[in-house]
Amino acid sequence: MSDKTTSRNRMRKVVIGAAGLGAAMVVAACGGSVGGGSDAEITTVSKGDAKASGTLVISNWPLYIDENTVSNFEKDTGVKVKYVEDYNDNTGFFGKLRPQLEQGESGGRSIIVPTDWMASRMDGLGYLQHFSVPDDLPNVEANLRDDLKSPAFDPDRAFSVPWQSGMTGLIVRTDLAPDIRSINDLFDPKYKGKVTMLSELRDTVPLVMKADGINPDDATKEDWLKTIDKIESAAASGQIRDFTGNDYAGPMVRGDVVAAIGWSGDAVQLQADNPDIEYRMPTQGCILWSDNMVIPVGAPNPNAALEWINYVYDPEVAADIAEYVNYITPVDGAKEVLAKKDPELANNQLIFPSASYTADCSNQPSLDAADEQEIEQAFERAITG
Amino acid sequence: MSGGRRTLPYLLLFPGLLWLVVFFVIPLVYMGELSLRTGSLTEGFFFNWQFSNYSDVLSDYSQQFLRSFIYAGVATLLALLIAYPLSYAISFRGGKYRNLLLFLVVAPFFTTYLIRTIAWQTILTDQSPLVEFLASIGLTSNGRILDTPASVIAGLTYNFLPFMILPLYTSIDTLDRRLIEAAKDLYASSKTAFLKVTLPLTAPGIVAGTLLTFIPASGDYVNAYFLGGRNQAMIGNVIQSNYLVTSNYPAAAALAFILMLIILLLVVIYIRFAGSEALMGDEASAN
Repeated sequence: MSDKTTSRNRMRKVVIGAAGLGAAMVVAACGGSVGGGSDAEITTVSKGDAKASGTLVISNWPLYIDENTVSNFEKDTGVKVKYVEDYNDNTGFFGKLRPQLEQGESGGRSIIVPTDWMASRMDGLGYLQHFSVPDDLPNVEANLRDDLKSPAFDPDRAFSVPWQSGMTGLIVRTDLAPDIRSINDLFDPKYKGKVTMLSELRDTVPLVMKADGINPDDATKEDWLKTIDKIESAAASGQIRDFTGNDYAGPMVRGDVVAAIGWSGDAVQLQADNPDIEYRMPTQGCILWSDNMVIPVGAPNPNAALEWINYVYDPEVAADIAEYVNYITPVDGAKEVLAKKDPELANNQLIFPSASYTADCSNQPSLDAADEQEIEQAFERAITG
Repeated sequence: MSGGRRTLPYLLLFPGLLWLVVFFVIPLVYMGELSLRTGSLTEGFFFNWQFSNYSDVLSDYSQQFLRSFIYAGVATLLALLIAYPLSYAISFRGGKYRNLLLFLVVAPFFTTYLIRTIAWQTILTDQSPLVEFLASIGLTSNGRILDTPASVIAGLTYNFLPFMILPLYTSIDTLDRRLIEAAKDLYASSKTAFLKVTLPLTAPGIVAGTLLTFIPASGDYVNAYFLGGRNQAMIGNVIQSNYLVTSNYPAAAALAFILMLIILLLVVIYIRFAGSEALMGDEASAN
């Protein structure tokens, strides 16, 4: 804490010298955005007896909810919801919101939906509020799938509740690349310049590791760097055409890309437009991850936020969402509800995967904090040719 | 002269100066300070005159720096080669359609830059007739344009072309036509008249146009992102990824400073070479 204050003060002096007192105030406001926040105290939220009301701002990923859930929630609870789809990727969103979180503000948002590792990082920096009383979320208590109850980064689900889960694996054009089944096939010269990988470190690298017989959970820093090297030389040789977020969809529909590392839910949605696009479970298995609802520090109306989190864990509601977004629902009972409405969807392995289907899959690994920056930067260098 | 008169110029300068201080000087000082910090996201970034940030990023990303200036340079040259004849034709042969033609030059601005760049993805897709034609006459690498240097340079040229055309047009259009007639009266061929009269007198337009194209093109990251993919990353993409992806703020700030300094240096050399007369026009020569 003292280090941070000194550096801030020193900077203030520099600026006063340069541009006068008024300017210093402007910069001091930015200055706070450069310090670490690991020393922050943990704040908690609880509902108490008050009934949820007012306005609730939710920031979620695009196309990640059906059309009725928000308005149904508004009707049922009287809370007005502003649902914003501005969470485009973990690092980008974090990069933009961090200066505010550092000041203890969430930009008016009460719920954001980071992926496991990002939720873990945010909590480490003291940017998230913890749930204080389990009774606030009875539906979560009752319906959260067993396999999601105690992830390594949040063993008691003290600050995160899964929104949806998904698989990272292969997405292929069955008409243009019928024989791609393994991650190793992406390195086949036959498909030179026709394959892409995700720009998400924790999706792409563990999959390639698995293809090389390394278990991502036991991987050392050297394993990571070695795998990144392999990816880097494949990119430099032109084998890998690009590294993308979920914008691999366009090139795939056009046929510029015939196989990609991508997300299962995207494949289901893309398939509706082009029946030749298909998700394939890599022969080595997939990477499993969840996006989690969290309540950031300074979130207005945490009461309504807790109400929302509890609401979407009603199996009926979860079934509506699952029917639309096609990712794996974390809510027990949703499958049974959906089976009555749409049996075909309820049997889709991508939405309700069986244990045998995901047997070879690994959870998205979390990196050792000491190595994280080095590995992240090596990966960024590798994919920035 | 009254006191009010003497302070008036300063009063008039004040809004501009304030703007410059608040939006340029302060961020610059802040960025400079940031670029000399060291640390990580979790521990915080502390100021300790970390000059090695500069040498580190320079050695890590020299390739992207080089690529940026080559792409921007080639795009500027192409834009000049396209824009000069075009502006010349509009000015000399445009007749009553001159304003309409100029309007057509600016018209693409009515659609956002981003959408137009993304549209090029579709135009240059591997299966497009254009690319198939170019591939059939052997002008592509591996039968594709998209995600190669060619598509990034094409995108840069296309996007910055109007910034080349407008200053060129102004300077060609204000050229005193009687000077060309005089040259011809003195038995100069059309070619000589162009080289000895038109070209030197429109040099200010060329200098302004190339600067307006080259400077933003070197820092651009949209074209490289959408048309080049990660393998054609320019320095703007590197700064973006350091700032927003790896949260390595000091490196991003150092990169931004180096980019600024290199551009400044190139511009100074260029103006020296092209002559300040050309940039300032008549005023410089009058002084």
